Amino acid sequence: MNGLHGIIFSYEQRSGLKELSAIRSAASLPFAGRYRAVDFPLSNLVNAGVTDVGVVLNGHYQSMLDHLGSGKVWDLSRKRGGLKILPPFNYQKDWGVMPFRGKIEALAGVRSYLDNIRQDYVVLMDGDLVANLPLADVLEQHIASGADISMVCANDSFFIEDGTYFEKDGSGRVTEVLYHLQTPRGYRSLETYVLSTKLLKELVDECHGKGQYSWRQDVLLAKKDVLHEQCYVWTGFATQMRTVKEYYDRSMQLLDPVIRRDLFTPERPIRAKGADKASTYVGESGRCVNALVAEGCRIEGVVENSILFPGVVVEAGAEVRNCVLFKETAVRRGAQLQYIIADKNVEILADRTLIGHESYPIVLAKGSKV
Amino acid sequence: MKKECIAMLLAGGQGSRLYVLTSDVAKPAVPFGGKYRIIDFPLSNCINSGIDTVGVLTQYRPLELNSYIGSGQPWDLDGSDGGVHILPPYQGAKGGTWYKGTANAIYQNIGFIDLYEPEYVVILSGDHIYKMDYSDMLERHKAAGAACTISVMEVPWAEASRFGIMAVDGDDMITEFAEKPKEPKSNLASMGIYVFSWQALRKYLTEDEADPNSENDFGKNVIPTMLNSGERMAAYRFDGYWKDVGTLDSLWDANMDMLSPASGLDLTDESWPIYARSVNAPPAFLGAEAKVTHSAVNRGSDVEGTVENSVLFTNVTVGRGAKVSYSVLLPGTVVEEGATVEYAILGGSGCRVGKGCQVGGTPTGKPGWGLTILAPGCELPDKKEIRPGVMLGSNGEEVSR
Repeated sequence: MNGLHGIIFSYEQRSGLKELSAIRSAASLPFAGRYRAVDFPLSNLVNAGVTDVGVVLNGHYQSMLDHLGSGKVWDLSRKRGGLKILPPFNYQKDWGVMPFRGKIEALAGVRSYLDNIRQDYVVLMDGDLVANLPLADVLEQHIASGADISMVCANDSFFIEDGTYFEKDGSGRVTEVLYHLQTPRGYRSLETYVLSTKLLKELVDECHGKGQYSWRQDVLLAKKDVLHEQCYVWTGFATQMRTVKEYYDRSMQLLDPVIRRDLFTPERPIRAKGADKASTYVGESGRCVNALVAEGCRIEGVVENSILFPGVVVEAGAEVRNCVLFKETAVRRGAQLQYIIADKNVEILADRTLIGHESYPIVLAKGSKV
Repeated sequence: MKKECIAMLLAGGQGSRLYVLTSDVAKPAVPFGGKYRIIDFPLSNCINSGIDTVGVLTQYRPLELNSYIGSGQPWDLDGSDGGVHILPPYQGAKGGTWYKGTANAIYQNIGFIDLYEPEYVVILSGDHIYKMDYSDMLERHKAAGAACTISVMEVPWAEASRFGIMAVDGDDMITEFAEKPKEPKSNLASMGIYVFSWQALRKYLTEDEADPNSENDFGKNVIPTMLNSGERMAAYRFDGYWKDVGTLDSLWDANMDMLSPASGLDLTDESWPIYARSVNAPPAFLGAEAKVTHSAVNRGSDVEGTVENSVLFTNVTVGRGAKVSYSVLLPGTVVEEGATVEYAILGGSGCRVGKGCQVGGTPTGKPGWGLTILAPGCELPDKKEIRPGVMLGSNGEEVSR
């Protein structure tokens, strides 16, 4: 069967996200006022006509399971194909405790699933990639180039924790695979790889047989001269947020209309669960500027340069500047917040003042009361 | 599958007093409250009241309403037994007719209702904004041993002659019913919400259908006949927020009421959620120069100008220097830079107010003043002035009311 099959990996434990990742995997990190990170790869796949998607889970995946449900939001609740949740059922190590050491190990853990893939091509993606990639175009170029593996990479060498980088020649062919770099160079990998289903199974079997588990080390680097590895350079917004600082910076970038137009292009809509909340209300005394505001918020105070998730309350006299406030955060009368990331259901009591710094935003853990 | 109680929702009306807002859609599909459509209220009330089977009777311009309801999933009305069913008029072996009146619409669907062998049927209409627990009304119906229970609310005496008015005895049993009486005997007005014992209703519908002089209408025919036949008819008093949004003014009023919970219309109460089919769009963006006060905003909107006392639906754009006050901007409305919009309903779906336009104006108290209405898709070229009280169709030409 022609077409593309999606496999999304959701198992990393990003320690750099501190309290934000204590209760969830990076793929279920809330972002942009109403999304979870995984809404982006899922929507990218669906927008490219992908009908079958497997999500490989390990570690703290309760919040992921809640979020994915039957896959209905992405039209992936299907009689044939659709969304398949892949817990580590073949995994030999301590179940649910140790995350996989690499993508090959994760794929070997769901080896029998690979045999049931109906499509000729597979795209591997990380669940925490926030981007709006034209995957149909990536597949088309993959086939046209005759490559064995196509890797989508950003047009920069921005540092990310545990990142992979590629160097390429004039034709786009990968000449070097780099990681563990102090000073990154080359093109930043967006951990999105297209290859044939047949090749994927061969590579998994071969590596797993030798006790190898790392996709980038044992496949990309080891086979760069044997296989044709081709770069697809994406120039739009793309991020995998692995530190609090990066999460904060990327969130603030959304206040730029150019970036929002790129990430939320109407041609490829990002789908997400709805919240059954009323309209957002800005009151008589409310002042809300340069802010991205989800539904069901009630703003009676001042909000500037901030991102509000559904159901946030900012009472009269409260001031919120340069903050990201998750669902149902309540900022009571006279409280002042600057450079704060508040997780779900945080309450800031009246007249409290909390000030982080642009270079060090403060994270308030889920449900905390200040 | 037997059900104790099912609901039938009359959604076939044109809503001609909403003029250009219903030229392409049925009244229940008209947007309300920033993210809802009118029909979300009765549908959500049903599921919140434990009624999981709803027949929606459609006739006028059903396309948008049908696609909006879809499988019923947003209201949890997509269960495998029951759920929401669209019921258009149909042809039988001996031909068929349009729905001649509200009672005839139910009569034509006796077969549908019988499928569920219900003890009780709730009859609802798709043009009211309110939150009501129908199960409470059903309890009243059972306790009174009634054949029919009508929900009523007290209205100001001065307005009573605009409604169907009930006179009741000491037990709140209905003794008299008068449709729009000149000299009302009570100020208890019918809200157009009925609970019937199905076997009783079935009998009266069949008799009503056989009467060639009947208009086949609940208020005009079936209710008076039942009362005259000595059936036990109970009143169910309701004192929450309720508004018939059948006119442009009342639709505008109800939208404004949503902004002030003191009006009684509180949509933020999560114990009685109003569900809606939501559109997919990023959160609203309020720009660096935006001044939004006492207003509602929704997904996909982009506000750079001033917005006061207004309801902005989804995907609304208000440009820099534009000023919107006391207005209702339906989904997809664009107000360009420097335009002013006052006391208006803008119909959305590509409705665009060009740069520097002046649309509507504040009330003068003089005759001729009114809300300014732009139809869905109506586009105004730059610097156009539209006087208060004017209504424009989707082609930009004036429509008289």
